[in-house]
Amino acid sequence: MTAILDIQNVTKLYGNEVALDDLSVSLEANEYISLLGPSGSGKSTLLRVIAGFEKPDAGEIFLEGTSLVGIPAHKRGIGFVSQSFALFPHMSVFDNVAFGLRHREDEPVRDEGEITRRVNDMLALVGLVDLGDRGVNQISGGQKQRVALARTLVADPKIILLDEPLGALDANLRSRMRVELRRIRQQLGITFMHVTGNEQEALTMGDRVAVLDSGRLVQIADPDTVYNRPASARVARFLDCYNMFEGRCEDGDRFVAGGSSFPYLPAEDAQAGPGIYCVRFDKIRVAPASEASRPGEVGVRATFITSEYSGPSIMYFFEGQGSKVLEVEYHLSHRQPDEFSPGSEYALLWSPGDALVYF
Amino acid sequence: MENRPLLRSTLAIYTVLFIGFLYAPFVVLGILSFQSGPEGGPQFPIIEWSTYWYRHIFGLTPPSRVAPLPIGEALVRSMTLAFATMVTSTVLGTMTAQAFRRRFKGSGFVFYLVVLGMIVPGVLVGLGIALVANTLGIPRAWWGTAFVAHVLYTFPFAFLVMLAIFNRFDKTVEEAAWSLGVPPMRTFRKVTFPLIFPGVLSSMLFAFTLSYDEFPRTLFAAGADLTLPLAIYGTFAVEIHPNIFAFGVLTTLFSFSLLAVYGFLMALSVRSAKKVAIQEEIA
Repeated sequence: MTAILDIQNVTKLYGNEVALDDLSVSLEANEYISLLGPSGSGKSTLLRVIAGFEKPDAGEIFLEGTSLVGIPAHKRGIGFVSQSFALFPHMSVFDNVAFGLRHREDEPVRDEGEITRRVNDMLALVGLVDLGDRGVNQISGGQKQRVALARTLVADPKIILLDEPLGALDANLRSRMRVELRRIRQQLGITFMHVTGNEQEALTMGDRVAVLDSGRLVQIADPDTVYNRPASARVARFLDCYNMFEGRCEDGDRFVAGGSSFPYLPAEDAQAGPGIYCVRFDKIRVAPASEASRPGEVGVRATFITSEYSGPSIMYFFEGQGSKVLEVEYHLSHRQPDEFSPGSEYALLWSPGDALVYF
Repeated sequence: MENRPLLRSTLAIYTVLFIGFLYAPFVVLGILSFQSGPEGGPQFPIIEWSTYWYRHIFGLTPPSRVAPLPIGEALVRSMTLAFATMVTSTVLGTMTAQAFRRRFKGSGFVFYLVVLGMIVPGVLVGLGIALVANTLGIPRAWWGTAFVAHVLYTFPFAFLVMLAIFNRFDKTVEEAAWSLGVPPMRTFRKVTFPLIFPGVLSSMLFAFTLSYDEFPRTLFAAGADLTLPLAIYGTFAVEIHPNIFAFGVLTTLFSFSLLAVYGFLMALSVRSAKKVAIQEEIA
């Protein structure tokens, strides 16, 4: 695989605020990369810098080996779909999609017949066959999203950047559009870079997931690795599916957090000292306080507070030592939800192999 | 509001008074313009209703002791001047507002410098321009020095209108156009301009009407050939006849028709931008 987009040591400042901090990442041709980060992590800024709407203060960006420094947005050949769709409100759906073909600087299409053919092909691809004559305020949010996409796709860009493209849609539509986006991308073989603040969306959409934090790239890997082996405690925290104990490692294979101490399987970089011990919500088993732990299991005692049912899974909330809230997730596809009585003490048990420790 | 009868009636009275004061002079003017002529003057009650003074303006009455209004050429001058001012100020105002969309060094200072044009006393500006022109040996003329004075005066209004429009302007549509390969100038023509057009119309209306009846700045800057407000003022110096009122009625009607055109164009451009949004119908 060759890198289609290579971002090298890009730094972007807004006044004294660092939006991008010496960030390097490279995108391969024909992949779907999702860029995940909390708000303020610089993910939208990165997209705007790549698109050419903002100038980086340092660093270089290469598109297919050519430097983009000093090249204005309209000469980059990079598509951009913004969260607000940014459709041209004074034009019909058809004219919105045809706009780039008609008015671009490089090789504008003069032949109306060809424009009609290409626009209609694209409208068909995104599923908007008969809507060409509508004004863009006469269509629904999901349809606007498709128009924005069609308008970008028809210009045949090398990469498409999507800035929280599903953020303005309701939940139902969002999951439909996720499938659609992946299908369209696979059909056309274009590289997509999709910015999102939603960890689920990032994991579902991306062939690879890049996690951004405070203007730095903290991890880039396939979704499975990001989910199961977050590169740092911050990534784990942002994924919002880990219970995290702050404490310290002792003797190389014991972790002490408050009054609890659990053994763990030492990683290669294990060392004595302060650290964070993480256990995923769905790796924990809840047992009556009286039950003896099975061999090899470790755990803590905690008081049941409440539960939250969400269909395919249920979340149980417990209060551990020092009022620390611990969460346990049961997937309900293979089991029934358990009944726990609020205020009672239970044992939360897991296997040391499922725990992750960060220093 | 519904539960405050006192506030409601106070505001109602205020509104009635406001409209009364706004239109009373025009009504008086209108009535007096139908005075009989040539012996009737600007006094109540009307001697006899007639359209004599309207005919008088257009030279359709037999010669009498009242000279025809010397306004034909002045009217053409004022119209030309207002039109030129309108075009120049709107173009400059739009370009300046466009520049102010990005913060640049000293933008705050430049902003006040520009806006100052509408605050400084008009007579002084006119006098100043006349003095500068004399010093530099530039002849004063309505199409030269007065034109400069009018642009100086109306440009800040056009600028502020356009600034307000750009403030609410969603620049992501421009970025979308760029990312489609469309260069900035064509993006401005094809996307930005159609969207800011209502603002451009407003700023044109402002510039035209402000220039059309501008008096203090023009007084010193216009030179020998008078603009309409100056010519009308000149006729007051001799004796006031109702032909002035008839002319006032006609120009007011002209202004109303300008407003009507403005309203019509506005409605057109707003309607094309805001069609009725329909409900979600995606499955």
